[in-house]
Amino acid sequence: MSHASMAEIIEPVAINQRARRRPRRGQIVSSGLWYIVLVFLAVITIFPFFWMLMTSLKGPGDPVYSVPPQFIPTDPTLAAYGRVLDLLPIPRFFVNSLIVAVCVGGLNVLVAAMAAYPLAKMRFPGRDAIFYALLATLIVPAQLTYIPSFVLAVNVFHYYDTLPAVIFPNLVSAFNIFLLRQAFRSIPNDLIDAARVDGAGEWRIWWTILLPLIRPSLAAVAIFTFVTSWNDFLWPSLMLHTPDGLTLPVGLAALQSNFISDFRAIAAGVTITVVPILLFFVVVQRYFVRGLAGAVKG
Amino acid sequence: MTRKRSITPYTFLLPALALLGIFVVYPIIAVVYYSFTDYDIVRPPVWVGLDNYAKLIDDPTFWTALTNSIVYLLVTPILIFLSICLAIIVNRRLRGIHIFRALYFVPAVSGSIAIGLAWRWLFERNGFINSTLLSWGVIQTPVQWLATPQLTLPIAMLLTIWAGVGYYSVIFLAGLQNIPEELYDAARIDGCNDFQKHRYVSLPGLRPQIVFVAVISSLAALKVFDEIYVLTNRTGGILDSGVTMVFYLWKQAFQLDQAGYASAIAMALLAVTLVFSIFNVRILERGQSEDAT
Repeated sequence: MSHASMAEIIEPVAINQRARRRPRRGQIVSSGLWYIVLVFLAVITIFPFFWMLMTSLKGPGDPVYSVPPQFIPTDPTLAAYGRVLDLLPIPRFFVNSLIVAVCVGGLNVLVAAMAAYPLAKMRFPGRDAIFYALLATLIVPAQLTYIPSFVLAVNVFHYYDTLPAVIFPNLVSAFNIFLLRQAFRSIPNDLIDAARVDGAGEWRIWWTILLPLIRPSLAAVAIFTFVTSWNDFLWPSLMLHTPDGLTLPVGLAALQSNFISDFRAIAAGVTITVVPILLFFVVVQRYFVRGLAGAVKG
Repeated sequence: MTRKRSITPYTFLLPALALLGIFVVYPIIAVVYYSFTDYDIVRPPVWVGLDNYAKLIDDPTFWTALTNSIVYLLVTPILIFLSICLAIIVNRRLRGIHIFRALYFVPAVSGSIAIGLAWRWLFERNGFINSTLLSWGVIQTPVQWLATPQLTLPIAMLLTIWAGVGYYSVIFLAGLQNIPEELYDAARIDGCNDFQKHRYVSLPGLRPQIVFVAVISSLAALKVFDEIYVLTNRTGGILDSGVTMVFYLWKQAFQLDQAGYASAIAMALLAVTLVFSIFNVRILERGQSEDAT
């Protein structure tokens, strides 16, 4: 305690904050209680995944259904994973999902970063009209556009049942343009004016000066778009039908109808598809937080 | 700021505007047109005037879908309340708190189909919930959770809430961390207890986040599809008990080949969305004028 009282003498202003941080018996008890709350909430959050994993590992001697429920398999086996991989080309689904999500995440952020720059930093006729038109499209539910987009895919673009059909309609997002416009606005005008005085063209300014400055926002938007695209279901389920050409969520939904009674196999399929995106989330976690926090600042 | 006239700004905007034109603006115009036609996507549309809208008004399933979609909006206030609670709980310095924050986010990244299947397996007749309740003696015979019409929508809403709380709490956590510490100190000096502290400091401080989450989650609630699709095994539930606007649109357009009729449902969806957006904008403007004073 002596260093704390020293601190109070040296920095009287900080007394309040120090007092709160000093570990006291009461605080240890209260942090113990908080851990109980946190663990309880974590169990609620994780339990459905845990139950899936355990079901997928159950062997022939373990009941998938019993009263009371059996949590840990006594006879664990990977047989269910073998069955599901035999019936569905899950590695292919994975590659398809990856192609789609990388294209959509990467190109969407590029298109949005291009559109956001003039909206944030240039003055030109029609700027406000374009901006408000973009905002208006945010309100329109995407599902509203699916019937005409379906017709376009079949009759005009002829990409029905191919991956481009789930890439092209998702290459633009008014929401991403809006987020990146906020990022560009935080850059001082002097910097851009200085570059213009030095004779740099707008494209060069955009590419070599501005994009590196907003790299954290670009990463957050790209990662968000990647995950959204990875998990997208309704539109891909309308477009993709060839068994080898499905994305993971569409393939997973097919699994449900193929294995009505084989819960071990369904559980194995769900587990295989959830693990990669969870690993990805662990790696890029901080960008999620930044992206979500940044969305509200404006 | 550039003042000289040039085409440069438009070239930057061109890809985005072209894509929006093809994939958003054109489809909206087309869907308005289709809503006045008899259309099955394969054969050319035939103009039928207001027939689809007349049919809509007499269609009980449409009214079920509309009611269900509006009931589904109840997830928004529940999500806001629970997410703020969770944000307050995880907004403290504890060893390992980052791991808990990450855990709560897991359902949001796992994908609706995967978590829907996981939930289905919990609520199945032979699922975990029934076997637990049976072993505790709470029930004597298994409950048909997913085959009871009154329960279809509540279970789907529970799934949406469970998956969304961790996601939205990240937004509120960022908001809480922007509230100056001095405000809480002042509240304590004025004699506020913990509850009052959050009521009079956190809640007003989180206003921008609350507006944002209200808009985002209510737009998402009006568009709900995946949860219903998985939980009801693509049927919409017994007696259409779980059918929402988007589910009904999908069923008419892509299961029953009634794209013209489905377009009329789409117009109804657009109308509902616009009404709620205007409602949201009103709240947003009121919040801004309060902030300004």
